[in-house]
Amino acid sequence: MKFSYEWLQDLIKFKEKPEKLAELLTLYFAETTLNYQNKRAILDIDLSANRFADGSSHLGVSREIGAILKKKFNYPKIKIKEEKEKAESVVKINNRSKNCRLYSSRVIVDLKVKPSPLWLQERLIDCGLRPINNVVDATNYIMLLTGQPLHAFDFDKVASNKQNKKEIVIREAKEKETITTLDGKTYSLSNNALLICDISGPLAIAGIKGGLKAEVTEDTKRIILESANFEPTNIRKTSREINLKTDASIRFEHNLPLELAPYALDLVAQLIQEIAGGTILKGSLISNKVKQKKLTFNITEKECQKFLGFPISFKEIKEILDLLGFVIKKQSAQDKALIVELPSFRNDITIKEDVMGEIGRLKQFNQIKPSPLEAELKIPTRNEIWEFTNQLTDLVKSFGFVEVKNYSFISLKDKKNYLEPEKIIDLLNPISDSFFSIRPNLLINLFHNIELNYRFYDKIKIFEIGNAYLWENDEIQEKILLGGIWAQKEREQEEEIFYQVKGIIEALFESLNIKEKDYEIQKIKNGLEIVLKKDKSQVIGSILYLDKEEKDKYSLEGSIVAFEFNVLLLKSLKKPIHYQELPQYPSALRDISFLIDKKLLIGEIIKNIKDASNLLESLELFDIYEGKNIPNNKKSLSFHLVFRAKDRTLSSEEIDEEMTKITIILKQLGAEIR
Amino acid sequence: MNLEELKNKAQEELELVDSLDSLEQWRIKFLSRKSELSQFFDHLKDLPLEEKRVNGQKANEVRQLLEQQYFKKKQKLEAESISQKELDITRPGVKVERGHLHPLTLITRELVQTFEKLGFDIALGSEIETEYYNFDALGIPENHPARDMWDTFWLKPKTKSQKSKLLLRTHTSPMQIHYMETHQPPFRVIVPGRCFRFEATDSHHDIQFHQLEGLVVGEDVSLANFKQLMIDVLKEIFGNEIEVRFRPSYFPFVTPGLEIDIKFKNEWLEVMGAGMVHPDLFKNVKYHYQYQGFAFGLGVERIAMLKYGINDIRLFFSSDLRFLSQF
Repeated sequence: MKFSYEWLQDLIKFKEKPEKLAELLTLYFAETTLNYQNKRAILDIDLSANRFADGSSHLGVSREIGAILKKKFNYPKIKIKEEKEKAESVVKINNRSKNCRLYSSRVIVDLKVKPSPLWLQERLIDCGLRPINNVVDATNYIMLLTGQPLHAFDFDKVASNKQNKKEIVIREAKEKETITTLDGKTYSLSNNALLICDISGPLAIAGIKGGLKAEVTEDTKRIILESANFEPTNIRKTSREINLKTDASIRFEHNLPLELAPYALDLVAQLIQEIAGGTILKGSLISNKVKQKKLTFNITEKECQKFLGFPISFKEIKEILDLLGFVIKKQSAQDKALIVELPSFRNDITIKEDVMGEIGRLKQFNQIKPSPLEAELKIPTRNEIWEFTNQLTDLVKSFGFVEVKNYSFISLKDKKNYLEPEKIIDLLNPISDSFFSIRPNLLINLFHNIELNYRFYDKIKIFEIGNAYLWENDEIQEKILLGGIWAQKEREQEEEIFYQVKGIIEALFESLNIKEKDYEIQKIKNGLEIVLKKDKSQVIGSILYLDKEEKDKYSLEGSIVAFEFNVLLLKSLKKPIHYQELPQYPSALRDISFLIDKKLLIGEIIKNIKDASNLLESLELFDIYEGKNIPNNKKSLSFHLVFRAKDRTLSSEEIDEEMTKITIILKQLGAEIR
Repeated sequence: MNLEELKNKAQEELELVDSLDSLEQWRIKFLSRKSELSQFFDHLKDLPLEEKRVNGQKANEVRQLLEQQYFKKKQKLEAESISQKELDITRPGVKVERGHLHPLTLITRELVQTFEKLGFDIALGSEIETEYYNFDALGIPENHPARDMWDTFWLKPKTKSQKSKLLLRTHTSPMQIHYMETHQPPFRVIVPGRCFRFEATDSHHDIQFHQLEGLVVGEDVSLANFKQLMIDVLKEIFGNEIEVRFRPSYFPFVTPGLEIDIKFKNEWLEVMGAGMVHPDLFKNVKYHYQYQGFAFGLGVERIAMLKYGINDIRLFFSSDLRFLSQF
């Protein structure tokens, strides 16, 4: 919000230059930046929601400057000249709603609407408002001064009641009641909206915007001034319902102090008389539905010191509270205790801690001496999920993958492409079709990453660990996933890459010491799925290559293999490492090569070999060959076989015997030993 | 072949040997158990005694000679093998594929480690929250003007009967409530996590970002304690010379509320919001004792941008490998 430096200086005398003032306000009050308008210094203060009610005015900021600089601040005095004729003889206020907490009004007659004097126009422009005419400008000027929104109705455009008085009726709108506002727009209202009306219809949406009906124009001679206070939540609700935020509505939403209204009313009447002439009828018309409560707080030196952690003295506490406008009701020098009454303009303060916070603020937070926290010396509880996620990230990175972080959203198009779109969680207010729903997995966005990166790279290895969400039986299911992709522009490399990725996943499992007996590998379309052995419905993860159809979905080319794993399931399978004693006796190495039916699964063959010999310690497939020089329906496999016994060196006869067993089994499978 | 011929042939071939590999082949051919020389010894046993003696002696001489020459040659080759072939040390090494961690991962870990050293627990929360935990329990009821500080992504309800409104958390602060509901003070905890805001993006704002929430509660945890901790942590991250500034701010779940700035290239930049925990929160989690504490929320992207000199927040979620492979 913009504030005129000169105006502030008019209200409270200070010597600080604009730069210095901006810095002080930032440190003590709210972040302030300095700008210039025609060489006049303008302070832009970023008011926080709690300080809006008292700080969104030149008076409020001056009051704050007074507290910061330890200067006495005085309110402008009211010097109003009234006529004998009473306002109540021509106007009646009929407040029918508790949402109008206070309504005050004055009547001015015989005025002349014309442009405002230059000094006033300048101040409005400096604060970001557009001058209109002297009456409207005066209401805006006093709003900028006091923070109280004000409104002027053309007296002659307001309907009279049977007693020939202008009757201002404050009531809730009827459902779908309409009003045309000053800017010519028509709004249809709900029965939550509060209206300012005459006996024939609405004149204004209370606290939000004036209506066209009683607009002040060049021809206006008499006006009814409004200075009111409305229930903040009611204003906020209506403003949202009709999607109309105004300077006034924002101010009312922040719970302005009640006493501001009659004060601002007198100030504005006085100013209008000064710049538009006319006479002010006698008396203000006031309808007061709510009394402002006077809050008091018990403040002690001991508690302040405990809360702030700083040896602030009783004397200083009293000084600061006085500067902030608190009134000391009672005090005990012996107990160093106070009972203080809250100044009416600080609606934001409701509890003792707020008051102690204010003492800290005015002491200036930077002046409070830091002191180390005294706490129990304890080892933090391990967060196993956090630790495991980090371990997993490091492992996948070590295999040459680059970690990415994608948006947690997917596009509308991706949602439609998803296998079970009804499970996808949608946003009520998506920002665009590109960020339409919550991601159900990590792969969708990882696929999109390939397209972008193909512009600069021929080969891409990326991964992500993050959360994904789905509806499962009307409940939200959250999963932590590890997703990764290996993509190459070169075509028809899927098979090669698939086995590479499988090797990486095997290495990952080995690093986590996941045991073969705990999982099972199943074939699925375009790849494999790894499931829990004890519950095969639980999918640990999968490895897939993209076929043409899938690639087209994401407009991708080349060879692409993806993997995705459930992090918590992986974690549940991780086993601690146990050292295996080093072998006492030497091993013996033999190789075996054979031709076998192409269709026979290698996993099946390996299982048969392993089962055939209990002296076989390990085996490694070192060559697979299909093609030239061997029959069409065959493949050639070559294994290194390692034999060992725990308790002796194996003799060559023993090994030969094992080899015979293996050969027999292989022959049963139809193998031709080479 | 007689011994003399064998010796000459061996010596001739040894002349031609120019590498350790071919020397090994030469050794197998002429000196191993399967060599001709060996076979010569094997035949000795069939000869009459005198011939056995003479030939045996000769054969031994030949073997010793060849062995000597073999070791000499071996020494020479070994000495030459490195020095003869000059290494071009300027030649680039063979490329090894290396992975990279995301800059936000690096910074988050650094932050978390700093707090772990100080004995903080780590808690994690869900990115999907209820309106109660994200707002109401933190003192931000519906129609509170402060709600405007958090533009929110709301989730479309699955069923009409859904109990509470769901949203994408706008900050990690809901975890203050979750954590306090399950833990009794004194404690100190941090919560790293992803948050979301329904807002227009620019170089410093994005619809998603990461926070590190902190919460310290005890009997007499004070504002001065909070200051000391934050100064220490920021120095740990940015170095001892960093200037830190505290100024008033507002968040409904703390009182007083503060903002912390650090001075960077002569400009004050905001790095976190914080404050003393509002007593209403303690009531909401049913603490029966009057505790005191502070809470803070660090912007992880902000810290990463300052630390690495990144000028656009949107790069973090661009998945552009030209960016990511720099870390």
